[in-house]
Amino acid sequence: MEISAYYETKTAHFGVVSTDWLAQAQSATSIPNPTLSSPIPIQHNKPFSVIDEFNTWRNQPHLAEAVAAIRALAAVIRSSQATTMMELEIELKKASDSLKSWDTTSISLTAGCDLFMRYVTRTSALEYEDFNSAKSRLIERAEKFGEISYKARKVIAMLSQDFIFDGCTILVHGFSRVVLEVLKLAAQNKKLFRVFCTEGRPDRTGLRLSNELAKLDVPVKIVIDSAVAYSMDEVDMVFVGADGVVESGGIINMMGTYQTALVAKSMNKPVYVAAESYKFARLYPLDQKDLAPALRPVDFGVPIPSKVEVECSARDYTPPQYLTLLFTDLGVLTPSVVSDELIQLYL
Amino acid sequence: MPDVQSLVNDFVNQLKTRKIEGSQATAKQTAEFLRSVISQQRVPHTNQAAALINAVRDVGEQLIAANPVELAVGNIVRRVLHIIREEDHSLTTAAVAGLGLTAASDDENDVDRDDHPVLSAAVVAAAARSTLRPPSLQTLLEDMPDSTAIPPPSSSGGESEGKSRSVDKGSIGRKLKHDVIEAVNELIQDIATCYDQIAEQAVEHIHQNEVILTLGSSKTVLEFLCAAKEKKRSFKVIVSEGAPRYQGHLLAKELAARGLQTTLITDSAIFAMISRVNMVIVGAHAVMANGGVIAPVGLNMVALAAQRHAVPFVVLAGSHKLCPLYPHNPEVLLNELRSPSELLDFGEFSDCMDSASGAGSLHVVNPTFDYVPPKFVSLFITDTGGHNPSYMYKLIADYYSADDLVVKRRALTGN
Repeated sequence: MEISAYYETKTAHFGVVSTDWLAQAQSATSIPNPTLSSPIPIQHNKPFSVIDEFNTWRNQPHLAEAVAAIRALAAVIRSSQATTMMELEIELKKASDSLKSWDTTSISLTAGCDLFMRYVTRTSALEYEDFNSAKSRLIERAEKFGEISYKARKVIAMLSQDFIFDGCTILVHGFSRVVLEVLKLAAQNKKLFRVFCTEGRPDRTGLRLSNELAKLDVPVKIVIDSAVAYSMDEVDMVFVGADGVVESGGIINMMGTYQTALVAKSMNKPVYVAAESYKFARLYPLDQKDLAPALRPVDFGVPIPSKVEVECSARDYTPPQYLTLLFTDLGVLTPSVVSDELIQLYL
Repeated sequence: MPDVQSLVNDFVNQLKTRKIEGSQATAKQTAEFLRSVISQQRVPHTNQAAALINAVRDVGEQLIAANPVELAVGNIVRRVLHIIREEDHSLTTAAVAGLGLTAASDDENDVDRDDHPVLSAAVVAAAARSTLRPPSLQTLLEDMPDSTAIPPPSSSGGESEGKSRSVDKGSIGRKLKHDVIEAVNELIQDIATCYDQIAEQAVEHIHQNEVILTLGSSKTVLEFLCAAKEKKRSFKVIVSEGAPRYQGHLLAKELAARGLQTTLITDSAIFAMISRVNMVIVGAHAVMANGGVIAPVGLNMVALAAQRHAVPFVVLAGSHKLCPLYPHNPEVLLNELRSPSELLDFGEFSDCMDSASGAGSLHVVNPTFDYVPPKFVSLFITDTGGHNPSYMYKLIADYYSADDLVVKRRALTGN
């Protein structure tokens, strides 16, 4: 089975715990540890490839994928021989298209490329400047984007503090850096709350999140994925991250988010999404099958007969009517605001 | 400024003792009060906007803390802060445009100027613009100016042009205060006339022979219904009495006096009557950023009944009632508990209300407000027209600056 690049990134960043992974770790010689590789400056003897560049950035565990994409596009600008803005734009367009087609499953990669392209073509700040200073300005902005992304997480954590009250129980599905940041800040602010982590089969993201939370002395309980409805009674709010926020205001996130949101809705519990605004993507999925499925291996521990099919998709789409609010660096938003923001940017 | 402080204390006392009631009256008096604060504020020659903003914010914190349940106070404080920012911005952009390209390398761009010799006026304008606008995807990648992007007084200004610029700034200063007071006057005017603007839309919503249900009494609703009546619409109104204050009685009397066919019912009869109702029209105490409504107690029941029978639930609200906060904040959800004397006469049940022993005695709780979630509201009618609940955030973004949302939080942590 073909494993999607999207899933590979996740595995590399979050150290998904699977038996496969354990086996690989034991015979570690074959795989170089991706976290150690640092971005290599572009060698001029080797032909420049935007995808290689992207991959070197992508393997840095603290960088979001959109940041890696924008950094890669900045590298395109740096190595470009173009002498006019138009040439540069065409070159960038080509690079971003090849990036996007290299991994069609990653939404934040696409969104990041689109956002940067939009900035290059739209921004009024470039209009009156000469070409070289415009170029250096673009590169500078792209390099600052990592900071913007980091700051976005801080802003989101700050905004969501009002919503976490003393004595509340939060159900978290999936491992998200933003959600972790939110919970971290709440713990720092001496809020009293407990967290239920879903196990997150087969990646066991919940194990990792519970690990991190235990370090912060936050009371945490792991519930298996099928126990979401069982434990929803005790839950006050559901917190999830997002791989992408789509134009309808719905989110695309780790498999199981949809059912968690459905259960929460039917029990009248608020569902909060924490996502940076550069994850807003120009997609309008109508149902689950509208998405390119991101495949991943599912390990059942016992051999499965070859005639039996296995559902391997790694994520699902949660429609906006099941979400209460989105916490983004643009502020606290209702799902309907997302399309407004996107239209403002792309129309 | 001792006189300003004593005025503030007076006003705070009035708010604390609930001498000022009703969101419209509160909004109007708050705006008038802030206008006098601004006019008495002595402004320095440099950085006038910041001085005004600080003064208003200081006073605003105290006012909000005096009656945190009356959200109109906070709304008006934020509106005035927004007005100051806007006026300051329009003056500085006018100045930048006036100075032309040569002087466009304004002080705030000193650092940029070093690497980019020719920095365009467009950049300056864009930077100034983005301080006023709420953050958006469009500006995400742009150079985010610091929140103090209001240009600080030039310390390293050019020799010859520095002089002319400082003269310019002096005149800007005097003009700023004048413009702000002018704009606050407009705001007060708007608050006073919001009834008319809402009532004007009545004929679009109320049709011939319809049956309208409302609960309690709201001046906005009264004006709305009367405006439709004046346009020769004939319709029936069912008024629910609105226990425990029974303001519905007053409304029913008033409507009947104006020749409208009125029926008075008890609050408990709402479900019984709702099936023959075409539309529910109610007033609100405050409208939150997500489209939820803080309304007189009993309205959530009306909303549920309307939802059950698919009757449109229309909320009338002047723009001073739009609050940029989300109702999930506990301090916003804080309800006001009024005196139990509205429920019981003095001496009644006195044998079960043994205050000395305490335990096991009867409690009487009299909350003032209900929270109606946005999913129950079909339409908001404000002075700018009809809006969907999910659109309220947009209106709010027009009225307030993102920087001012935290006035309240700061006030609370300060206490």
